[in-house]
Amino acid sequence: MKTIKLIDIASARSGDKNNVCNIGVMAKSEEDYATLKQHLTADIVKTHFKGLIKGKVERFEWDSLESLNFVCHEALDGGASRSMRMDSLGKNFSSHLLRLELEIN
Amino acid sequence: MKTIRIAGAQGFYGDSPLGAMAIAMQGAADYLMHDALAELTLSILQKDKIKDPTMGYARDIEVHARTLYPMAFAKGIKIVTNSGGLNPESAAEKVKAILEKQGIKGVKIATITGDDVLARLPEFKENNVELNNLDDNSSYYDSKFPPTHANVYIGAQKVKEALDNGANLILAGRVADPCLALGILAHEFNWKIDEATTQEDFDRMAFAITIGHILECGGQASGGNAYSEWPMNYSVSDLGYPIAHVNEDCTAILTKADNTGGKVSRNTIREQLVYEIHDPTNYITPDVIVDLSNIKLEDVSENKVSISGIKGKPRPEKLKLCIGQHEGFVTEQFFFFSYPFAYDKLQMFIKAVKETWAKLPVQILESRFNIIGVNGLHEDAVEIPNADELNERSELGLRIAIKHKDDRTGKTAIAGIVCLGLNGPPGVISVPGWGNMNRAMLSLFPCLIPRELINPEVKYIEV
Repeated sequence: MKTIKLIDIASARSGDKNNVCNIGVMAKSEEDYATLKQHLTADIVKTHFKGLIKGKVERFEWDSLESLNFVCHEALDGGASRSMRMDSLGKNFSSHLLRLELEIN
Repeated sequence: MKTIRIAGAQGFYGDSPLGAMAIAMQGAADYLMHDALAELTLSILQKDKIKDPTMGYARDIEVHARTLYPMAFAKGIKIVTNSGGLNPESAAEKVKAILEKQGIKGVKIATITGDDVLARLPEFKENNVELNNLDDNSSYYDSKFPPTHANVYIGAQKVKEALDNGANLILAGRVADPCLALGILAHEFNWKIDEATTQEDFDRMAFAITIGHILECGGQASGGNAYSEWPMNYSVSDLGYPIAHVNEDCTAILTKADNTGGKVSRNTIREQLVYEIHDPTNYITPDVIVDLSNIKLEDVSENKVSISGIKGKPRPEKLKLCIGQHEGFVTEQFFFFSYPFAYDKLQMFIKAVKETWAKLPVQILESRFNIIGVNGLHEDAVEIPNADELNERSELGLRIAIKHKDDRTGKTAIAGIVCLGLNGPPGVISVPGWGNMNRAMLSLFPCLIPRELINPEVKYIEV
């Protein structure tokens, strides 16, 4: 068992569509992608954001780009134009996800 | 084989024109594609239009008409943009006047309208057109909030038509961002859009849409906002905006202009590709559904990335309509607290603010207190350090935000607490005007609408 910081094996970018925030996570290598696929689940992502993501989190695998795409529903306090958050567009969901530490075998 | 060069010249309303000017000066593109309309932008433009019926377009076209357009036209570069917003025809008149003042002639401006259905909402209701919320399936007609704008995401057919008819500047309304590129490529390569029937037609459109998606956020594809390139070893103050060299066989090279900052790499393109996409096998646009799952991206050489492998599926049956609704207002203000006891003072201040509001004749629907430097951006998702540690900080910031129904509450609520600068804990700084006063709070109502109800129209004016 060891702990890996997500920021050491991936980059991320997030954006908004109304109240949905998507976080693309791009692995730094094929090997890192295999690690992400095995360990970075939708549940882990949802838990990491605590109460910020109110709805479900869907995970899409994007093998040709060695990337995972997390689509987070009811995540933006109603959507950018009605949000009371400072990060109304969820542009920094990517930053927060990169803080995550994964326990791997 | 024919190659067409399209530049992502603008990523949002308010973007710098310098990237596009560097491209125009070098003649490094055949087309400048400007995307000015984020989901939020139309509600901003609607406010302008209410104040002045000749407004309602993205106002940076006035700057572009003075600086960028003359440079582009001199090099034979055409410009395609959705900056027309809620008023493409007024935008065209304004651009025409600015160009004529400079003695520029021979410009054919096309406007594309028909996406704005705000005035048609009563007609839809009368005709029992179902407008059901894509998220919760509620009917629009049951909504209790007044509409601010209502625009349908329209496709590329009219962009192609305008270019076929010789336009060299297109000012469109809510043409979906990536469809701007499809219109350009369908014109140049004589590809089908509305008449598409074969797999080849769908694949071509899907490819063009992907090029548009990569270009639509400007500098975000060429090294801006890129974690994958952190720490950035290139300059960003002169960031080169992305340029696609597009081949007729549905391959392309993504690059940027010479002697500019930024970087184009497989990583910067990959980051932009995942941006605001949900299911990569079903990226839905008005003209085609794109399957990006087998896309092939390769670093070819410095600042050159090749792209291919995109598949298309027939377009969705209906178009997407987004209706803005005015729910209320948000007001915010910032305060700063110094060492010593920064955190304790901040907490005492919050308590005093809440007590003050309880005594004022104001109705605050929701309030929020963020500690800047601690949980400003990520709110409850981050742990707050203990009070002893925070009290050792040299300073802490406090952001107070409130939601309210009318446009008087914000002023009353903030005016009621500024006295705490003298009456409250020691060592507090606030500067009136740092926050937002009465920012309109809008919710977006996304729904689908039958295509046959929407008839986009092209008009031309000559300079």
